[in-house]
Amino acid sequence: MSAYEFMFPDVGEGLSEGEIVRWHAAPGERIRIHEGLVDVQTDKAIVEIPAPVSGTLVRHGGVPGDVIAVGAVLAVIEGDEAPRNVETPALAGRTEAASGSGVAEPAATSSSGPGSGAVSHRRARASPAVRRLARERGVDLAAITGSGGRGQITREDVEAALAGTVAEPEAAPVAASPAPRDEDRVEPLRGLRHRIAQTMSEAWRNVPHIFSMEEVDARDLVRARESANAVHASSGARIGYLPFFVQACAAALRAHPRFNASLDMDARQIVYRHRCNIGIATATPDGLIVTVVHDADEKSLRKLAEEIRDLSALARERKVSPAHLAGGTFTISNYGSYGGAMGAPIIRPPEVAIAGFGRVRESVVPVEGRAVVRPVLPLCVSTDHRLNDGEHLHAFMESVARHLREPARLLARI
Amino acid sequence: MVVGEVPEAADFVVAGAGPGGYAAALHAARRGRQVMLVDRDGRDGVGGVCLREGCIPSKALIEAAGLFADAAAGAERGVVVSPPRFDLAVFQTFKAGIVDRLTGGVRGLLDAGKVKVVAGELSLIDETTAVIAQPGDRVRFVAFRDLIFATGSSPVELPELPFDGERVLDSSAVLDLDALPASLCIVGAGYIGVEIGIALAKLGTRVTVVEAAERVLPELPAHLGTPVARRMKALGIDVLLGTRVRAIRAGKLEVDAGGTPRRLEAEGVMVAVGRAPALASLNLSSAGIEPGPDGRLAVGPDRRLRPHIAAIGDLTPGPALAHKASAEALVAVEALCGENTAFEPAAIPIVVFSDPEIASLGEHSGPGRKSARFPVGASGRAATLDEKLGFVEVVSDEDDGTVLGVHIVAPHASELIAEGGLAVEMGATLEDLALTIHPHPTLSEMVGEAAGLGAGRALHVRPSVA
Repeated sequence: MSAYEFMFPDVGEGLSEGEIVRWHAAPGERIRIHEGLVDVQTDKAIVEIPAPVSGTLVRHGGVPGDVIAVGAVLAVIEGDEAPRNVETPALAGRTEAASGSGVAEPAATSSSGPGSGAVSHRRARASPAVRRLARERGVDLAAITGSGGRGQITREDVEAALAGTVAEPEAAPVAASPAPRDEDRVEPLRGLRHRIAQTMSEAWRNVPHIFSMEEVDARDLVRARESANAVHASSGARIGYLPFFVQACAAALRAHPRFNASLDMDARQIVYRHRCNIGIATATPDGLIVTVVHDADEKSLRKLAEEIRDLSALARERKVSPAHLAGGTFTISNYGSYGGAMGAPIIRPPEVAIAGFGRVRESVVPVEGRAVVRPVLPLCVSTDHRLNDGEHLHAFMESVARHLREPARLLARI
Repeated sequence: MVVGEVPEAADFVVAGAGPGGYAAALHAARRGRQVMLVDRDGRDGVGGVCLREGCIPSKALIEAAGLFADAAAGAERGVVVSPPRFDLAVFQTFKAGIVDRLTGGVRGLLDAGKVKVVAGELSLIDETTAVIAQPGDRVRFVAFRDLIFATGSSPVELPELPFDGERVLDSSAVLDLDALPASLCIVGAGYIGVEIGIALAKLGTRVTVVEAAERVLPELPAHLGTPVARRMKALGIDVLLGTRVRAIRAGKLEVDAGGTPRRLEAEGVMVAVGRAPALASLNLSSAGIEPGPDGRLAVGPDRRLRPHIAAIGDLTPGPALAHKASAEALVAVEALCGENTAFEPAAIPIVVFSDPEIASLGEHSGPGRKSARFPVGASGRAATLDEKLGFVEVVSDEDDGTVLGVHIVAPHASELIAEGGLAVEMGATLEDLALTIHPHPTLSEMVGEAAGLGAGRALHVRPSVA
């Protein structure tokens, strides 16, 4: 028999922390190996973490709502037998749920001031103005790696660190944010919402977006969808517009590899993706989750419809696995599904483009010199201007639009 | 506080109107605070020791002494002045004019910021109230929201040699003399003793300097003081090292020079053995604040002692210098206004207005450090000034060449050091300094040359790097 500290394991790719949702056992209760011990909400999903050994639960590492870092103590267990691979004892000193971001604490912060005009060479390399900014905004320079020459920390580095800061309840409040008043409701920024906040601000800051918008004549698309549903009426489930959008985009991506690419500024290279994995943004009560349809260009309309349906159900129940989320090369946002007309979607780096589709609606369009009422589909494509210029964007747009205007080719792949 | 006494509310109180205190008052006023500035001498006290009886008056005297010495020595360069004469009374009028103009300027700024300047000595009652003892035995109670102590320091008195205002003087009193003493004994060869000793020696006073340590300027590394010690000797200053003062008796200063008693003739004695923080009357213990073993107040990085009480300047650890106090003032005000801030300079320059001047900041040579020195004798501009003594030293990180310290012993060192401060603050390397074009012919070229020497690219000196 031996008590040991069960460290929060890394349950997904690149996961750094999770929020405790529910304990399945109380301290003092018996637990059995491989049976559920605790539910933890990660960036995208709620994961049940099984007990690593059989024995008695001694202590919880945190209460529901606590954010715990990977590697921090999740629970203390009195095991029936010693576990074979006890986690590194280096972290054993941290007994409470770590609310930090999982970043190692700096060994020593720089000295607060020169006693006799001397400089501590251990201090972070940053200009006085940058040090002042860091102080004002509560950023620890010792925890930042500078991007400048010889590791010099720049103003941009501090701002990037700020954008990536985990909201810590006990951290000093940032002076700039107004203190909440009595009647205000305060909610910690956690889990999925926090993840979205991080990625969106990063994308918006780092990627120079250009947008192109168009209303596509959707008469034939509407007909194509109706006939597809007539053909498959026996199978029950109706096909929405989304599978058509996915197919149109996949076909356009095949013709325009610059939009199925990613940009690596550090390595100074452009990677053209061989596979065409299209992410679908799905609304959930906690925020958007993007699930990925792999090899979308090789799938039939019907197959796509099924897969999209399954993925969005998983996303709404927060049961997607990391495999459902990884590997995207392009994203579609179907804001028309909740009534949106025009939008300007934000790219998800390292992808370089995203397409947004509005609601199909009737509009007056000129056809052969006459005003005609036709269904139109608002379309917007955003792309990373570092890689694609307006000319490229126009060509890609036109390709997507053509497939939607003339869906005959798409239908051929049902 | 008398029962029934209602204290007046004060938004932002600053105690002490020196370079720390008035800077704090102006900065707080600029941020919309209603400021009360309390000084022992009221409006007359604005500017503090620095403007009124320290930095500025002593520099005026040092400049005048330099002018006088140059005139006397000008014949070598073809400038013949039939014996120059120095009139201390005229100088005092000139000096008073400068001091009035400068302190008047600060008073004008304080008025523009609607800072209320109050005469009196402030002491704490508790963490939120203080009493101001005003002239004429009046007292005033204030309930303050925020308070900064900036009361500075005062000269340390030797028990065996108490100040008497006639024969035993502090530096401020010497700077106020109307007639030049024929002879003066200076106790203490720190920067104040050296600065005033050199100036008076140039003007014709027979100066003896008594120092307990084994060298002049013992607070600085030895090599920085050496050129100055040579100049002092050349000026005829008698420097007694390893010598302790015993007493003053029958007009003679009795000293003990390493076991040998000596009696020194002197018209006056100036004691300059250091300055001590002026804390005694502040009654800090009423708020549970006690000075540390060094007599200074252990402030936090943002200079606060309590959530609404801060201290700056000579009261806090670090060199007791006006520019440090002013820099801390801004930090303390911002901290008390609720901002996250800290006093965290990479280096604080130290300046001695000796001859040659010394200016120093940052690290000195040591393990892992590279030191490169460029001699003043190799500077063309220095040659035109007829100066050879001194050097510019740049200390850098042996591994990556980051400039960590700059130490200058040279004419106008005080004006040359700021570039070094910027280099250290910005994390510049030897190459950065060396590749920055310095104008020719100037003394500032020596900074670039010293850095170039360290980086292995000096032009005007044979490479020899420590």
